[in-house]
Amino acid sequence: MLELIDICKVFDKNTVNEKVALDNVSLTLNNGDFVTMVGSNGAGKSTLLNAVAGMFPLDNGSIILNGNEITHLSEHQRAAMIGRVFQDPLTGTAAHMTVEENLVMAWKRGQRRRLRRAIRFQERAFFREQLAGLGLGLEDRLTTKVGLLSGGQRQALTLLMATMRRPQLLLLDEHIASLDPRTAEIVMDLTCRIVEEQQLTAIMVTHNLEQALSAGTRTVMMHEGRIVLDIQGLERRRMDVLDLMSLFEKNSGTKLSSDRVLLAAKA
Amino acid sequence: MLYALAGTLEQGLLYALMALGVYLTFRVLNYADLTVDGSFTTGGAIAASIIFAGGSPWLATAAAVIGGLLAGLITGLLHTAFRITPLLSGILTMTALYSINLRILGRANVPLLRADTVISRFNSWLPLDNIYGASLLGLIIVLLAVIGLYIFLKTEIGLALQATGDNEQMIRAQGVNTNHMKLLGLALSNGLVAISGALVAQNQQFADAGMGIGMIVAGLASVIIGEALFGKRTLLQHIIAVVCGSIVYRAVLALVLRLGLAPTDFKLLTALIVVIALASPQVRTWLGLTKNSRKRGSFDA
Repeated sequence: MLELIDICKVFDKNTVNEKVALDNVSLTLNNGDFVTMVGSNGAGKSTLLNAVAGMFPLDNGSIILNGNEITHLSEHQRAAMIGRVFQDPLTGTAAHMTVEENLVMAWKRGQRRRLRRAIRFQERAFFREQLAGLGLGLEDRLTTKVGLLSGGQRQALTLLMATMRRPQLLLLDEHIASLDPRTAEIVMDLTCRIVEEQQLTAIMVTHNLEQALSAGTRTVMMHEGRIVLDIQGLERRRMDVLDLMSLFEKNSGTKLSSDRVLLAAKA
Repeated sequence: MLYALAGTLEQGLLYALMALGVYLTFRVLNYADLTVDGSFTTGGAIAASIIFAGGSPWLATAAAVIGGLLAGLITGLLHTAFRITPLLSGILTMTALYSINLRILGRANVPLLRADTVISRFNSWLPLDNIYGASLLGLIIVLLAVIGLYIFLKTEIGLALQATGDNEQMIRAQGVNTNHMKLLGLALSNGLVAISGALVAQNQQFADAGMGIGMIVAGLASVIIGEALFGKRTLLQHIIAVVCGSIVYRAVLALVLRLGLAPTDFKLLTALIVVIALASPQVRTWLGLTKNSRKRGSFDA
Protein backbone atom coordinates (compact mmCIF):
# COMPACT_ATOMS: atom_id res chain seq x y z
CA MET A 1 0.00 0.00 0.00
CA LEU A 2 1.25 3.45 -0.95
CA GLU A 3 0.13 6.45 1.05
CA LEU A 4 0.87 10.01 -0.02
CA ILE A 5 -0.12 12.38 2.76
CA ASP A 6 -0.36 16.12 2.06
CA ILE A 7 2.71 16.25 -0.10
CA CYS A 8 3.83 19.68 -1.27
CA LYS A 9 6.54 20.82 -3.63
CA VAL A 10 7.26 24.35 -4.80
CA PHE A 11 9.98 24.85 -7.36
CA ASP A 12 12.07 28.05 -7.39
CA LYS A 13 10.45 29.24 -4.18
CA ASN A 14 10.49 33.01 -3.59
CA THR A 15 11.54 33.83 -7.11
CA VAL A 16 9.59 35.17 -10.08
CA ASN A 17 9.61 31.63 -11.45
CA GLU A 18 7.94 30.19 -8.37
CA LYS A 19 5.86 27.21 -9.38
CA VAL A 20 3.63 25.17 -7.13
CA ALA A 21 4.14 21.72 -8.58
CA LEU A 22 2.40 19.65 -5.90
CA ASP A 23 -0.28 21.31 -3.81
CA ASN A 24 -1.19 19.20 -0.77
CA VAL A 25 -1.62 15.98 -2.69
CA SER A 26 -2.99 13.01 -0.80
CA LEU A 27 -3.50 9.66 -2.47
CA THR A 28 -3.76 6.12 -1.20
CA LEU A 29 -3.08 3.12 -3.41
CA ASN A 30 -4.16 -0.30 -2.26
CA ASN A 31 -2.06 -3.27 -3.18
CA GLY A 32 -2.84 -4.29 -6.73
CA ASP A 33 -4.11 -0.88 -7.77
CA PHE A 34 -2.97 0.01 -11.28
CA VAL A 35 -3.52 3.75 -11.52
CA THR A 36 -3.48 5.56 -14.84
CA MET A 37 -2.73 9.23 -14.35
CA VAL A 38 -3.78 11.96 -16.77
CA GLY A 39 -3.70 15.75 -16.82
CA SER A 40 -2.53 18.61 -18.99
CA ASN A 41 1.11 19.57 -19.35
CA GLY A 42 2.50 20.98 -16.13
CA ALA A 43 -0.28 19.46 -14.03
CA GLY A 44 2.26 17.75 -11.79
CA LYS A 45 1.97 14.14 -12.94
CA SER A 46 5.65 13.55 -13.54
CA THR A 47 6.54 15.62 -10.49
CA LEU A 48 4.37 13.34 -8.40
CA LEU A 49 6.10 10.26 -9.77
CA ASN A 50 9.53 11.81 -9.25
CA ALA A 51 8.58 12.77 -5.70
CA VAL A 52 7.66 9.19 -4.95
CA ALA A 53 10.90 7.99 -6.58
CA GLY A 54 12.86 10.40 -4.39
CA MET A 55 14.43 12.63 -7.02
CA PHE A 56 14.03 15.73 -4.84
CA PRO A 57 13.13 16.45 -1.20
CA LEU A 58 9.54 17.43 -0.41
CA ASP A 59 8.59 20.75 1.15
CA ASN A 60 5.94 19.06 3.22
CA GLY A 61 4.04 15.81 3.63
CA SER A 62 5.06 12.19 3.86
CA ILE A 63 5.24 9.11 1.69
CA ILE A 64 4.60 5.70 3.21
CA LEU A 65 5.12 2.51 1.24
CA ASN A 66 3.78 -0.69 2.81
CA GLY A 67 4.09 0.79 6.27
CA ASN A 68 7.61 2.14 5.78
CA GLU A 69 8.11 5.86 5.88
CA ILE A 70 10.26 6.58 2.81
CA THR A 71 9.91 10.38 2.73
CA HIS A 72 13.51 10.97 3.71
CA LEU A 73 15.14 8.07 1.92
CA SER A 74 17.37 8.90 -1.02
CA GLU A 75 16.56 7.92 -4.58
CA HIS A 76 18.85 4.89 -4.63
CA GLN A 77 17.54 3.66 -1.28
CA ARG A 78 13.95 3.77 -2.50
CA ALA A 79 15.01 1.96 -5.67
CA ALA A 80 15.19 -1.23 -3.61
CA MET A 81 11.39 -1.09 -3.40
CA ILE A 82 10.42 0.83 -6.52
CA GLY A 83 10.76 -0.12 -10.18
CA ARG A 84 10.75 2.66 -12.76
CA VAL A 85 10.38 3.09 -16.50
CA PHE A 86 11.06 6.52 -17.94
CA GLN A 87 9.63 8.45 -20.87
CA ASP A 88 12.92 8.51 -22.74
CA PRO A 89 13.95 4.96 -23.76
CA LEU A 90 17.59 6.05 -23.36
CA THR A 91 17.19 6.80 -19.66
CA GLY A 92 16.42 3.35 -18.32
CA THR A 93 19.35 1.38 -19.72
CA ALA A 94 23.13 1.76 -20.00
CA ALA A 95 23.83 2.09 -23.73
CA HIS A 96 27.48 1.04 -23.75
CA MET A 97 26.86 -2.09 -21.74
CA THR A 98 25.39 -5.37 -22.94
CA VAL A 99 21.83 -6.62 -22.51
CA GLU A 100 22.91 -9.19 -19.91
CA GLU A 101 25.00 -6.64 -18.01
CA ASN A 102 22.01 -4.33 -17.81
CA LEU A 103 19.85 -7.20 -16.63
CA VAL A 104 22.25 -8.35 -13.95
CA MET A 105 22.49 -4.82 -12.59
CA ALA A 106 18.71 -4.73 -12.35
CA TRP A 107 18.59 -8.20 -10.82
CA LYS A 108 20.79 -6.84 -8.02
CA ARG A 109 18.37 -4.00 -7.28
CA GLY A 110 17.87 -3.93 -3.53
CA GLN A 111 20.48 -6.68 -3.06
CA ARG A 112 24.01 -6.35 -1.82
CA ARG A 113 26.47 -5.90 -4.67
CA ARG A 114 29.67 -7.86 -4.18
CA LEU A 115 33.13 -8.21 -5.61
CA ARG A 116 32.32 -11.37 -7.50
CA ARG A 117 31.83 -12.05 -11.15
CA ALA A 118 28.48 -10.61 -12.10
CA ILE A 119 27.46 -12.92 -14.93
CA ARG A 120 27.86 -16.65 -14.70
CA PHE A 121 26.23 -19.57 -16.38
CA GLN A 122 23.09 -19.69 -14.22
CA GLU A 123 22.42 -15.98 -14.71
CA ARG A 124 22.64 -16.34 -18.48
CA ALA A 125 20.05 -19.11 -18.56
CA PHE A 126 17.74 -17.16 -16.29
CA PHE A 127 18.04 -13.96 -18.33
CA ARG A 128 17.45 -15.82 -21.58
CA GLU A 129 14.26 -17.22 -20.17
CA GLN A 130 13.13 -13.80 -18.91
CA LEU A 131 13.88 -12.14 -22.26
CA ALA A 132 12.06 -14.87 -24.15
CA GLY A 133 8.97 -13.86 -22.17
CA LEU A 134 9.06 -10.45 -23.84
CA GLY A 135 8.61 -12.06 -27.23
CA LEU A 136 10.96 -9.63 -28.99
CA GLY A 137 13.76 -12.03 -29.83
CA LEU A 138 16.08 -10.38 -27.33
CA GLU A 139 16.98 -13.76 -25.79
CA ASP A 140 19.50 -14.27 -28.61
CA ARG A 141 21.12 -10.91 -28.08
CA LEU A 142 22.40 -11.19 -24.52
CA THR A 143 25.83 -9.84 -25.43
CA THR A 144 24.64 -7.05 -27.72
CA LYS A 145 25.34 -3.53 -26.53
CA VAL A 146 22.03 -1.96 -25.55
CA GLY A 147 22.82 1.13 -27.63
CA LEU A 148 22.28 -0.99 -30.74
CA LEU A 149 18.69 -1.86 -29.82
CA SER A 150 15.65 0.08 -30.98
CA GLY A 151 13.73 2.42 -28.69
CA GLY A 152 10.94 -0.10 -28.25
CA GLN A 153 13.34 -2.93 -27.43
CA ARG A 154 15.12 -0.72 -24.91
CA GLN A 155 11.83 0.24 -23.31
CA ALA A 156 10.72 -3.38 -23.08
CA LEU A 157 14.09 -4.22 -21.55
CA THR A 158 13.70 -1.39 -19.03
CA LEU A 159 10.27 -2.72 -18.15
CA LEU A 160 11.73 -6.16 -17.56
CA MET A 161 14.54 -4.63 -15.48
CA ALA A 162 12.01 -2.74 -13.37
CA THR A 163 9.90 -5.80 -12.68
CA MET A 164 11.97 -8.99 -12.81
CA ARG A 165 12.73 -8.58 -9.16
CA ARG A 166 9.20 -7.82 -8.05
CA PRO A 167 8.97 -4.15 -6.94
CA GLN A 168 6.56 -3.02 -4.23
CA LEU A 169 5.62 -0.20 -6.55
CA LEU A 170 6.03 0.32 -10.29
CA LEU A 171 6.27 3.85 -11.69
CA LEU A 172 5.71 4.32 -15.43
CA ASP A 173 6.27 7.87 -16.61
CA GLU A 174 4.71 8.11 -20.09
CA HIS A 175 6.85 5.15 -20.95
CA ILE A 176 5.32 4.56 -24.37
CA ALA A 177 4.88 8.21 -25.41
CA SER A 178 8.03 8.37 -27.51
CA LEU A 179 7.52 5.07 -29.32
CA ASP A 180 5.89 4.61 -32.70
CA PRO A 181 2.24 3.46 -32.47
CA ARG A 182 2.87 -0.23 -33.18
CA THR A 183 5.78 -0.53 -30.79
CA ALA A 184 3.84 1.46 -28.22
CA GLU A 185 1.06 -1.09 -28.42
CA ILE A 186 3.46 -4.00 -27.93
CA VAL A 187 5.09 -2.37 -24.91
CA MET A 188 1.68 -1.42 -23.50
CA ASP A 189 0.39 -4.99 -23.82
CA LEU A 190 3.54 -6.21 -22.16
CA THR A 191 3.06 -3.71 -19.34
CA CYS A 192 -0.51 -4.81 -18.67
CA ARG A 193 0.51 -8.46 -18.77
CA ILE A 194 3.39 -8.04 -16.33
CA VAL A 195 1.37 -5.90 -13.92
CA GLU A 196 -1.42 -8.45 -13.97
CA GLU A 197 0.78 -11.53 -13.66
CA GLN A 198 2.73 -10.14 -10.74
CA GLN A 199 -0.25 -8.36 -9.17
CA LEU A 200 1.80 -5.15 -9.05
CA THR A 201 0.82 -1.84 -7.55
CA ALA A 202 1.56 0.68 -10.26
CA ILE A 203 1.14 4.27 -11.39
CA MET A 204 1.26 5.02 -15.11
CA VAL A 205 1.31 8.56 -16.45
CA THR A 206 -0.24 8.85 -19.90
CA HIS A 207 -1.50 11.50 -22.28
CA ASN A 208 -3.85 9.10 -23.95
CA LEU A 209 -7.32 9.38 -22.38
CA GLU A 210 -8.56 6.29 -24.16
CA GLN A 211 -5.68 4.28 -22.75
CA ALA A 212 -6.17 5.85 -19.33
CA LEU A 213 -9.58 4.21 -19.21
CA SER A 214 -8.81 0.94 -20.97
CA ALA A 215 -5.67 0.05 -19.05
CA GLY A 216 -5.36 -0.25 -15.29
CA THR A 217 -7.95 -0.39 -12.54
CA ARG A 218 -8.20 3.21 -11.48
CA THR A 219 -7.82 6.63 -13.09
CA VAL A 220 -6.54 9.78 -11.42
CA MET A 221 -6.57 13.21 -13.02
CA MET A 222 -4.31 16.05 -11.94
CA HIS A 223 -4.52 19.76 -12.52
CA GLU A 224 -2.26 22.52 -11.24
CA GLY A 225 -0.62 20.30 -8.69
CA ARG A 226 -3.83 18.85 -7.28
CA ILE A 227 -5.81 15.69 -7.84
CA VAL A 228 -9.11 16.71 -9.39
CA LEU A 229 -10.54 13.31 -10.22
CA ASP A 230 -10.12 9.82 -8.83
CA ILE A 231 -12.37 7.10 -10.21
CA GLN A 232 -12.46 3.34 -10.11
CA GLY A 233 -14.82 0.40 -10.31
CA LEU A 234 -18.25 0.85 -11.80
CA GLU A 235 -17.99 4.62 -12.08
CA ARG A 236 -14.86 4.21 -14.17
CA ARG A 237 -16.24 1.43 -16.32
CA ARG A 238 -19.20 3.58 -17.28
CA MET A 239 -17.02 6.41 -18.40
CA ASP A 240 -15.88 7.11 -21.94
CA VAL A 241 -13.26 9.48 -23.25
CA LEU A 242 -15.69 12.35 -23.79
CA ASP A 243 -17.07 11.99 -20.25
CA LEU A 244 -13.54 12.07 -18.96
CA MET A 245 -12.84 15.24 -20.91
CA SER A 246 -15.92 17.03 -19.72
CA LEU A 247 -15.30 15.92 -16.15
CA PHE A 248 -11.83 17.27 -16.46
CA GLU A 249 -13.15 20.61 -17.66
CA LYS A 250 -15.72 20.76 -14.87
CA ASN A 251 -13.27 19.80 -12.15
CA SER A 252 -10.51 22.06 -13.22
CA GLY A 253 -12.69 24.93 -14.34
CA THR A 254 -10.79 25.27 -17.61
CA LYS A 255 -11.05 24.04 -21.14
CA LEU A 256 -8.61 21.36 -22.10
CA SER A 257 -5.80 23.26 -23.69
CA SER A 258 -3.32 20.59 -24.56
CA ASP A 259 -3.45 19.55 -28.19
CA ARG A 260 -1.87 16.28 -27.25
CA VAL A 261 -4.78 15.36 -25.00
CA LEU A 262 -7.32 16.26 -27.67
CA LEU A 263 -5.49 14.42 -30.39
CA ALA A 264 -5.10 11.43 -28.16
CA ALA A 265 -8.80 11.51 -27.39
CA LYS A 266 -9.70 11.50 -31.08
CA ALA A 267 -7.33 8.71 -31.93
CA MET B 1 69.80 1.73 -30.26
CA LEU B 2 69.08 -1.26 -28.05
CA TYR B 3 69.23 1.01 -25.04
CA ALA B 4 66.82 3.42 -26.68
CA LEU B 5 64.39 0.57 -27.35
CA ALA B 6 64.63 -0.72 -23.79
CA GLY B 7 64.22 2.81 -22.51
CA THR B 8 61.09 3.39 -24.57
CA LEU B 9 59.57 0.10 -23.54
CA GLU B 10 60.19 0.61 -19.83
CA GLN B 11 58.89 4.18 -19.97
CA GLY B 12 55.84 3.08 -21.90
CA LEU B 13 55.06 0.32 -19.42
CA LEU B 14 55.71 2.31 -16.26
CA TYR B 15 53.59 5.21 -17.51
CA ALA B 16 50.95 2.77 -18.75
CA LEU B 17 49.75 2.38 -15.16
CA MET B 18 49.10 6.12 -15.10
CA ALA B 19 47.30 5.85 -18.46
CA LEU B 20 45.11 3.07 -17.02
CA GLY B 21 44.19 5.39 -14.17
CA VAL B 22 43.27 8.12 -16.64
CA TYR B 23 41.25 5.57 -18.64
CA LEU B 24 39.33 4.59 -15.52
CA THR B 25 38.16 8.13 -14.83
CA PHE B 26 37.91 9.62 -18.32
CA ARG B 27 36.43 6.66 -20.11
CA VAL B 28 34.83 4.32 -17.58
CA LEU B 29 33.58 6.90 -15.09
CA ASN B 30 33.21 9.67 -17.69
CA TYR B 31 34.78 12.04 -15.19
CA ALA B 32 37.45 14.54 -16.28
CA ASP B 33 39.77 14.13 -13.31
CA LEU B 34 42.75 16.49 -13.21
CA THR B 35 44.03 15.21 -9.86
CA VAL B 36 46.50 13.10 -11.85
CA ASP B 37 49.19 15.79 -12.18
CA GLY B 38 49.30 15.99 -8.39
CA SER B 39 48.79 12.35 -7.44
CA PHE B 40 51.51 11.16 -9.84
CA THR B 41 54.00 13.36 -8.01
CA THR B 42 52.57 12.29 -4.66
CA GLY B 43 53.31 8.69 -5.58
CA GLY B 44 56.84 9.54 -6.62
CA ALA B 45 57.44 11.76 -3.59
CA ILE B 46 56.22 9.25 -1.03
CA ALA B 47 58.21 6.39 -2.55
CA ALA B 48 61.37 8.47 -2.93
CA SER B 49 61.22 9.89 0.60
CA ILE B 50 60.78 6.49 2.22
CA ILE B 51 63.55 4.92 0.14
CA PHE B 52 65.81 7.93 0.77
CA ALA B 53 65.23 7.48 4.50
CA GLY B 54 66.32 3.84 4.15
CA GLY B 55 62.93 2.20 4.05
CA SER B 56 62.01 -0.89 2.06
CA PRO B 57 61.28 -0.02 -1.60
CA TRP B 58 58.26 -2.38 -1.68
CA LEU B 59 56.83 -0.72 1.40
CA ALA B 60 57.59 2.67 -0.15
CA THR B 61 55.67 1.73 -3.31
CA ALA B 62 52.73 0.45 -1.27
CA ALA B 63 52.67 3.67 0.74
CA ALA B 64 52.65 5.63 -2.52
CA VAL B 65 49.52 3.75 -3.61
CA ILE B 66 47.77 4.69 -0.38
CA GLY B 67 48.73 8.32 -0.97
CA GLY B 68 47.18 8.14 -4.43
CA LEU B 69 43.99 6.51 -3.16
CA LEU B 70 43.60 9.29 -0.60
CA ALA B 71 44.21 12.00 -3.21
CA GLY B 72 41.47 10.53 -5.40
CA LEU B 73 39.17 10.24 -2.42
CA ILE B 74 39.62 13.93 -1.63
CA THR B 75 38.75 14.95 -5.19
CA GLY B 76 35.74 12.66 -5.00
CA LEU B 77 34.57 14.14 -1.71
CA LEU B 78 34.91 17.68 -3.04
CA HIS B 79 32.65 16.67 -5.89
CA THR B 80 30.12 14.44 -4.14
CA ALA B 81 29.84 16.11 -0.73
CA PHE B 82 30.17 19.74 -1.78
CA ARG B 83 28.91 19.46 -5.35
CA ILE B 84 31.97 21.15 -6.81
CA THR B 85 32.25 20.44 -10.54
CA PRO B 86 34.50 17.48 -11.52
CA LEU B 87 36.99 19.69 -13.31
CA LEU B 88 37.36 22.15 -10.44
CA SER B 89 37.50 19.42 -7.76
CA GLY B 90 40.46 17.90 -9.58
CA ILE B 91 42.20 21.24 -10.04
CA LEU B 92 41.75 22.08 -6.36
CA THR B 93 43.24 18.78 -5.20
CA MET B 94 46.04 19.03 -7.74
CA THR B 95 46.93 22.52 -6.52
CA ALA B 96 46.78 21.53 -2.86
CA LEU B 97 48.92 18.47 -3.61
CA TYR B 98 51.68 20.66 -5.02
CA SER B 99 52.32 22.05 -1.53
CA ILE B 100 51.81 18.67 0.11
CA ASN B 101 54.23 17.02 -2.30
CA LEU B 102 56.90 19.60 -1.45
CA ARG B 103 56.33 18.83 2.22
CA ILE B 104 56.70 15.11 1.59
CA LEU B 105 59.88 15.64 -0.43
CA GLY B 106 61.23 18.13 2.08
CA ARG B 107 63.13 19.82 -0.74
CA ALA B 108 62.79 20.39 -4.46
CA ASN B 109 64.46 17.13 -5.49
CA VAL B 110 65.14 13.81 -3.75
CA PRO B 111 67.89 11.82 -5.49
CA LEU B 112 67.84 8.00 -5.42
CA LEU B 113 71.20 7.36 -7.10
CA ARG B 114 72.43 3.89 -6.21
CA ALA B 115 69.58 3.61 -3.75
CA ASP B 116 67.83 0.32 -3.12
CA THR B 117 64.71 0.44 -5.36
CA VAL B 118 62.18 -2.16 -6.48
CA ILE B 119 63.94 -2.11 -9.83
CA SER B 120 67.41 -2.77 -8.37
CA ARG B 121 65.91 -5.51 -6.19
CA PHE B 122 64.20 -7.07 -9.19
CA ASN B 123 67.38 -6.86 -11.26
CA SER B 124 69.30 -8.66 -8.53
CA TRP B 125 66.97 -11.63 -8.98
CA LEU B 126 67.66 -11.80 -12.70
CA PRO B 127 70.55 -14.01 -13.87
CA LEU B 128 72.60 -11.31 -15.60
CA ASP B 129 72.85 -7.58 -15.55
CA ASN B 130 69.92 -7.04 -17.81
CA ILE B 131 68.94 -3.81 -19.55
CA TYR B 132 65.38 -5.09 -19.81
CA GLY B 133 64.98 -5.51 -16.05
CA ALA B 134 62.81 -2.44 -15.56
CA SER B 135 60.73 -3.34 -18.62
CA LEU B 136 60.16 -6.85 -17.33
CA LEU B 137 59.11 -5.61 -13.91
CA GLY B 138 56.91 -3.00 -15.58
CA LEU B 139 55.36 -5.68 -17.78
CA ILE B 140 54.55 -7.90 -14.80
CA ILE B 141 52.95 -5.06 -12.86
CA VAL B 142 51.04 -3.79 -15.90
CA LEU B 143 49.78 -7.30 -16.65
CA LEU B 144 48.55 -7.63 -13.07
CA ALA B 145 46.88 -4.23 -13.34
CA VAL B 146 45.21 -5.08 -16.67
CA ILE B 147 43.90 -8.41 -15.43
CA GLY B 148 42.86 -6.94 -12.10
CA LEU B 149 41.07 -4.01 -13.70
CA TYR B 150 39.27 -6.26 -16.18
CA ILE B 151 38.13 -8.73 -13.53
CA PHE B 152 37.07 -5.91 -11.22
CA LEU B 153 35.03 -4.12 -13.89
CA LYS B 154 33.14 -7.37 -14.56
CA THR B 155 32.13 -7.86 -10.91
CA GLU B 156 28.79 -6.70 -9.55
CA ILE B 157 30.40 -3.59 -8.11
CA GLY B 158 32.48 -3.08 -11.25
CA LEU B 159 29.38 -3.11 -13.46
CA ALA B 160 27.74 -0.55 -11.18
CA LEU B 161 30.86 1.61 -11.57
CA GLN B 162 30.72 1.32 -15.36
CA ALA B 163 27.03 2.15 -15.37
CA THR B 164 27.67 5.24 -13.23
CA GLY B 165 29.83 6.55 -16.07
CA ASP B 166 27.39 5.38 -18.73
CA ASN B 167 24.01 6.42 -17.36
CA GLU B 168 23.82 7.76 -13.83
CA GLN B 169 20.04 7.99 -13.72
CA MET B 170 19.68 4.38 -14.79
CA ILE B 171 21.96 2.91 -12.17
CA ARG B 172 20.51 5.09 -9.41
CA ALA B 173 17.11 3.72 -10.32
CA GLN B 174 18.65 0.27 -9.80
CA GLY B 175 19.56 1.18 -6.25
CA VAL B 176 23.22 2.17 -6.55
CA ASN B 177 24.66 5.12 -4.65
CA THR B 178 26.48 6.78 -7.55
CA ASN B 179 28.48 9.00 -5.18
CA HIS B 180 30.09 5.90 -3.69
CA MET B 181 30.93 4.63 -7.16
CA LYS B 182 32.60 7.93 -8.07
CA LEU B 183 34.64 7.87 -4.85
CA LEU B 184 35.69 4.30 -5.57
CA GLY B 185 36.59 5.03 -9.19
CA LEU B 186 38.57 8.16 -8.37
CA ALA B 187 40.44 6.45 -5.55
CA LEU B 188 41.37 3.44 -7.70
CA SER B 189 42.37 5.65 -10.60
CA ASN B 190 44.67 7.83 -8.54
CA GLY B 191 46.03 4.75 -6.79
CA LEU B 192 47.14 3.47 -10.20
CA VAL B 193 48.55 6.88 -11.07
CA ALA B 194 50.53 6.93 -7.82
CA ILE B 195 52.04 3.47 -8.41
CA SER B 196 53.12 4.77 -11.78
CA GLY B 197 54.70 7.84 -10.14
CA ALA B 198 56.44 5.66 -7.55
CA LEU B 199 57.90 3.34 -10.20
CA VAL B 200 58.92 6.17 -12.52
CA ALA B 201 60.72 7.93 -9.65
CA GLN B 202 62.59 4.74 -8.78
CA ASN B 203 63.46 4.12 -12.42
CA GLN B 204 64.73 7.64 -13.11
CA GLN B 205 66.36 7.63 -9.66
CA PHE B 206 64.93 10.90 -8.42
CA ALA B 207 61.65 12.54 -7.55
CA ASP B 208 60.90 16.24 -7.81
CA ALA B 209 57.89 18.45 -7.35
CA GLY B 210 57.52 18.98 -11.10
CA MET B 211 57.52 15.35 -12.24
CA GLY B 212 53.73 15.24 -12.63
CA ILE B 213 53.27 18.39 -14.68
CA GLY B 214 51.33 17.66 -17.87
CA MET B 215 50.74 14.06 -16.79
CA ILE B 216 47.01 14.23 -17.41
CA VAL B 217 47.52 15.26 -21.03
CA ALA B 218 50.14 12.53 -21.50
CA GLY B 219 47.65 10.03 -20.06
CA LEU B 220 44.91 11.25 -22.36
CA ALA B 221 47.27 11.07 -25.33
CA SER B 222 48.01 7.43 -24.47
CA VAL B 223 44.32 6.60 -24.14
CA ILE B 224 43.42 8.28 -27.42
CA ILE B 225 46.36 6.86 -29.38
CA GLY B 226 45.60 3.40 -28.00
CA GLU B 227 41.93 3.60 -28.94
CA ALA B 228 42.71 4.85 -32.42
CA LEU B 229 45.36 2.20 -33.19
CA PHE B 230 44.14 -0.83 -31.28
CA GLY B 231 40.37 -0.38 -30.97
CA LYS B 232 37.93 -0.41 -28.10
CA ARG B 233 35.25 -2.86 -29.09
CA THR B 234 35.36 -4.94 -25.96
CA LEU B 235 36.39 -3.99 -22.46
CA LEU B 236 39.55 -6.12 -22.51
CA GLN B 237 40.55 -4.79 -25.91
CA HIS B 238 40.01 -1.24 -24.66
CA ILE B 239 42.18 -1.76 -21.57
CA ILE B 240 45.00 -3.40 -23.53
CA ALA B 241 44.77 -0.66 -26.16
CA VAL B 242 45.45 1.94 -23.46
CA VAL B 243 48.63 0.11 -22.40
CA CYS B 244 49.79 -0.16 -26.01
CA GLY B 245 48.87 3.49 -26.53
CA SER B 246 51.20 4.44 -23.70
CA ILE B 247 54.08 2.52 -25.29
CA VAL B 248 53.44 4.07 -28.71
CA TYR B 249 53.23 7.50 -27.16
CA ARG B 250 56.62 7.08 -25.47
CA ALA B 251 58.06 5.73 -28.72
CA VAL B 252 56.85 8.81 -30.59
CA LEU B 253 58.46 11.04 -27.99
CA ALA B 254 61.74 9.11 -28.21
CA LEU B 255 61.68 9.35 -31.99
CA VAL B 256 61.04 13.06 -31.95
CA LEU B 257 63.85 13.51 -29.46
CA ARG B 258 66.19 11.69 -31.84
CA LEU B 259 65.12 14.01 -34.61
CA GLY B 260 66.59 16.82 -32.57
CA LEU B 261 63.70 18.32 -30.62
CA ALA B 262 64.52 19.49 -27.09
CA PRO B 263 62.99 17.45 -24.23
CA THR B 264 61.45 20.69 -22.98
CA ASP B 265 59.26 20.71 -26.08
CA PHE B 266 57.60 17.43 -25.05
CA LYS B 267 54.59 19.02 -23.41
CA LEU B 268 53.87 21.11 -26.49
CA LEU B 269 54.13 18.03 -28.63
CA THR B 270 51.87 16.03 -26.31
CA ALA B 271 49.24 18.75 -26.34
CA LEU B 272 49.45 18.80 -30.14
CA ILE B 273 48.94 15.04 -30.34
CA VAL B 274 45.82 15.28 -28.20
CA VAL B 275 44.54 18.25 -30.19
CA ILE B 276 45.07 16.41 -33.47
CA ALA B 277 43.30 13.32 -32.14
CA LEU B 278 40.37 15.30 -30.75
CA ALA B 279 40.10 17.54 -33.81
CA SER B 280 40.37 14.83 -36.45
CA PRO B 281 36.66 13.85 -36.55
CA GLN B 282 35.74 17.50 -37.11
CA VAL B 283 38.44 17.99 -39.73
CA ARG B 284 37.30 14.84 -41.53
CA THR B 285 33.80 16.26 -41.67
CA TRP B 286 35.13 19.48 -43.16
CA LEU B 287 37.02 17.52 -45.77
CA GLY B 288 34.00 15.37 -46.50
CA LEU B 289 35.84 12.17 -45.59
CA THR B 290 33.35 10.87 -43.05
CA LYS B 291 31.55 7.78 -44.19
CA ASN B 292 27.88 7.79 -43.39
CA SER B 293 27.42 4.06 -43.35
CA ARG B 294 29.33 2.52 -40.52
CA LYS B 295 29.72 -1.20 -40.65
CA ARG B 296 27.78 -2.90 -37.94
CA GLY B 297 26.89 -6.18 -39.55
CA SER B 298 29.15 -8.73 -37.92
CA PHE B 299 28.92 -7.16 -34.48
CA ASP B 300 28.76 -9.62 -31.63
CA ALA B 301 28.09 -12.86 -33.42
